[in-house]
Amino acid sequence: MSTLRFGYGTNGFASHRLTDALAVIADLGYSGVALTLDHDHLDPFARDVAEQTRRVRDRLGELGLGVVVETGARYLLDPWHKHQPTLVSADPAPRIDFLRRATRIAEDLGAECVSFWSGVQPSDVDVETAWLRMRDGVAAVLETSGVRLALEPEPGHFVQHLEQALRLRTELGSPELLGITLDVGHCVAVEPKNAAECVREAGELLFNVQLDDMRPGVHEHLEFGEGELDLTGTLAALTEIGYRGLAAVELPRHSHAAPDVARRSITALRAADWLAGAERSVRADPVKIRTLFPAAGRKAGRSPLDARGLVHGTTDDHARARLLAALADALRDGELAKEVAELYRYGDGAERRGVLRGLHLLPGDAEVIDTGLRLVEDALRANDIGLVAAALGPFAQRHLDAHTWRHGVLKCLFTGVPVAAVSGLAQRADAELVRMVTDYVAERKAAGRDVPPDADLVLQEAGQ
Amino acid sequence: MRIFDPHIHMTSRTTTDYEQMYEAGVRALVEPAFWLGQPRTNVGSFTDYFDGLIGWERFRASQFGIRHHCTIALNPKEANDPRCVDVLDVLPRYLAKDGVVAVGEVGYDSMTEAEEKAFAHQLTLAIEHELPVLVHTPHRDKLAGTRRTLDVVRESGIAPELVVVDHLNELTVGLVADAGCWMGFSIYPDTKMDEHRMVTILREHGTDRMLVNSAADWGRSDPLKTLRTGEAMLAAGFTESDVDTVLWRNPVEFYGQSGKLMLDPLETGAPTGETFEGNSVLRGARQ
Repeated sequence: MSTLRFGYGTNGFASHRLTDALAVIADLGYSGVALTLDHDHLDPFARDVAEQTRRVRDRLGELGLGVVVETGARYLLDPWHKHQPTLVSADPAPRIDFLRRATRIAEDLGAECVSFWSGVQPSDVDVETAWLRMRDGVAAVLETSGVRLALEPEPGHFVQHLEQALRLRTELGSPELLGITLDVGHCVAVEPKNAAECVREAGELLFNVQLDDMRPGVHEHLEFGEGELDLTGTLAALTEIGYRGLAAVELPRHSHAAPDVARRSITALRAADWLAGAERSVRADPVKIRTLFPAAGRKAGRSPLDARGLVHGTTDDHARARLLAALADALRDGELAKEVAELYRYGDGAERRGVLRGLHLLPGDAEVIDTGLRLVEDALRANDIGLVAAALGPFAQRHLDAHTWRHGVLKCLFTGVPVAAVSGLAQRADAELVRMVTDYVAERKAAGRDVPPDADLVLQEAGQ
Repeated sequence: MRIFDPHIHMTSRTTTDYEQMYEAGVRALVEPAFWLGQPRTNVGSFTDYFDGLIGWERFRASQFGIRHHCTIALNPKEANDPRCVDVLDVLPRYLAKDGVVAVGEVGYDSMTEAEEKAFAHQLTLAIEHELPVLVHTPHRDKLAGTRRTLDVVRESGIAPELVVVDHLNELTVGLVADAGCWMGFSIYPDTKMDEHRMVTILREHGTDRMLVNSAADWGRSDPLKTLRTGEAMLAAGFTESDVDTVLWRNPVEFYGQSGKLMLDPLETGAPTGETFEGNSVLRGARQ
C-alpha cells in the first residue's frame, strides 16, 4: 500500500553462500539487499574482486534486487579484534582504505549507497581527538567516492546518536554525498525520540534504513514484535517523508535460521505497511474504513497475543483499534459515533471485538461515549467470550456503570474469561462485587463444584 | 474424487446433506446470495442473511469438514423491489469480508430496467473491489437474456476471465465461450441440465473455463449432482484428471482470483463441541 522497498541484510545470511542468500531473499519477495562485504561475501580484498563484483551485479540484476553496501563486517580487517581498526583508531588508514574499496565496489554494483559507522571511541582518546579523526576520515573517503555515503549512529560507538551524525555532516560543510543510515531499532534502544520522529528529523538526508526491533536501553537486534518498536508508525513516517531508498531488515545474529526469520520479517513488514496505508486512507477518506476494517485480519494477521487472545487481544484487534483512532482524527461527535456503531453493527465477531478494543482511543465526546456504552452492553449480553473479554477494557473501566461492570466481571468467572482481561479490576472492585463473588464461591462450594481460581483473584484484587 | 461445488445454497439444506456431501468428496463450496423463495421486505432482511452467510453457515459447514465461501449481491429478482434496492449501499462492507469470493448472483430475471441498473452497478462494484462476478441467466427467454447479459458485461469493462455466466445449456454455452467468460452449469434432477447432457457439452467444448454446480437450494434439487457429473464423465471415458479439473481445479482457479479462498483442510468431518459465538450445531448435553 506504499512505495516502500524492503530489503534484507546479507549479514543475516552469514551461513549461506552469497548467491544462495540473494536467491532466497528475492524469492521471499524482498526488493533489495543490504550487502555486508565480508570474507565470505564479496571479499573486497580478494584478488578477483572485480570479477566477483561483476557476477554479483549480474545476479542482482537477474533477480531484480536493489543493493546498498554495508561495511560492518566484524573481522575483515583484523582477525583478532572485532570491528578494528575504525575511523577513530590511532591509525585509521586501513579503515579508510577499506571504505574506499567499498565505494568502488558500490559504484561497480550500481549500489544506492555505502553505509558505515564511526567505531568505538578508544579509552585513551578524548572526545575532541576522536571527533577530529572522525571528521578527517569521513572527508578522506568522501574525496574519492563516486557514490553516496551514509553514516550510521551505532549504540556504544563514538557517533551513536542521530544528532551527532547530523552535526558532523554540518561541520564537513554539508556535502551532498554524505547522508544518514538509520537503524530504527537503535532509535528504540538509545535515541531520546522514537524511530518515527528520528525518520522525520533525518528527512531528505536519510539515505539508508535498517529495520529491526529492540527494547529501550538494550542493543540487541530482535525480530519484529519482540521489542517495543512501533513498526507501523515508523513505516508511516518513511512514507510521509517520501523515502525512496531501501529499508532492509538487519538481524545479523539470526543467520542460523535465516530463511524462516526472513519470511516472518517480510510478513510483518507487509502487515505493518498495509496498516500504515490503511490509516492514511481512513484519515483522507473516512468512508474507507468500511472496507478496510473487515480486511484487517487478512492483511495484518490474526495471531492471539496471549494463550487465547482474551487478555491482550489479537493482531487484528490492534490493527482495527488503530484504524478507529485514525477515524477519530477524521470525524467528530455524531458522525464518529454513527460510523463506529455501524462498524459494530455490520461487523463479524472479529470486527466487533476490534471496535470494543479501540473504544478507549476515541475522544470523550458525549455521543461517542453513549455509543460505546451501548456496544459494551451488547457485547456483555453475547455468548461469544471474545466479545465479553474485549468489552471490559479501559473504556468500560472509565465509563461503564457499576452495576453492569460488576455483572460483566461475574460473567467472566462464569464463562472462563480470565479476569486479567478486566481493566482496572483493583481500582473498580467494590464491596458489592466482593459480596457477589463471595456468594458465587459459596454457591459453588455448596454444590460441591470447583471454584474458578479467578474468583480468588478478584477477591485479592479487591483487597480481601 | 475431490469436489468444490461452486454454487450451492446450503442455508436451505440439512446437516444430512452436509454429511453426504463430505462422504462424496465435497471439501469446499461457494454459497451465492440469492432470494429466499419469498420476497424480502427490507434491507435488514438482507444484512441478517449476509451475516449468516459469512458467520453461522460458514461455521456449520466447517463442522462437517467443508470450507464454505459465499458471494454477496442484490439478486436480480429483488432488484425490482424498491424496498430492497438500498441494500446496494451496504454491499461494499460485505464484499470486503473474509471468505466473500465474488459479487453474485447478479444478472437478469425478467430483463427490466431496474434489474439492468442493479446489474451494471454491481459489475462496477466488482471492478472496484477486485472480485470475480457470478452472473445468473434468466430461466425464461434464456438465449436472448444471455446475449443481453454478455453485452452488459462487455460494456462494464470487467475482464471476461473474472466473470462466470451460470445456468447455461447447449444453446447458450457457445455465446459465453466466445465472450471469454467462464461457463457455469447447474445440474438439476429434472430441469436446466442433467449430468449426461453435461458430459456431451464437455466433449464438445472441452474442460477449460467450465464450472459444474448443483445449485441445490430450497427447491427440488440434489447436492450430489457434482459427484454424479464426475461419475458420468469417468463412465464416458474422461480421465480422473479431467474430472479434477472440472470439479476442483477450475472453481479454485476462478474464485481464487479473489485472493480470499480458504482451502487449508479442516481437521474433522464430524461436528465437535466447538462453538460459533457461543452456539454449537450439537443438540443435547455437551461439554
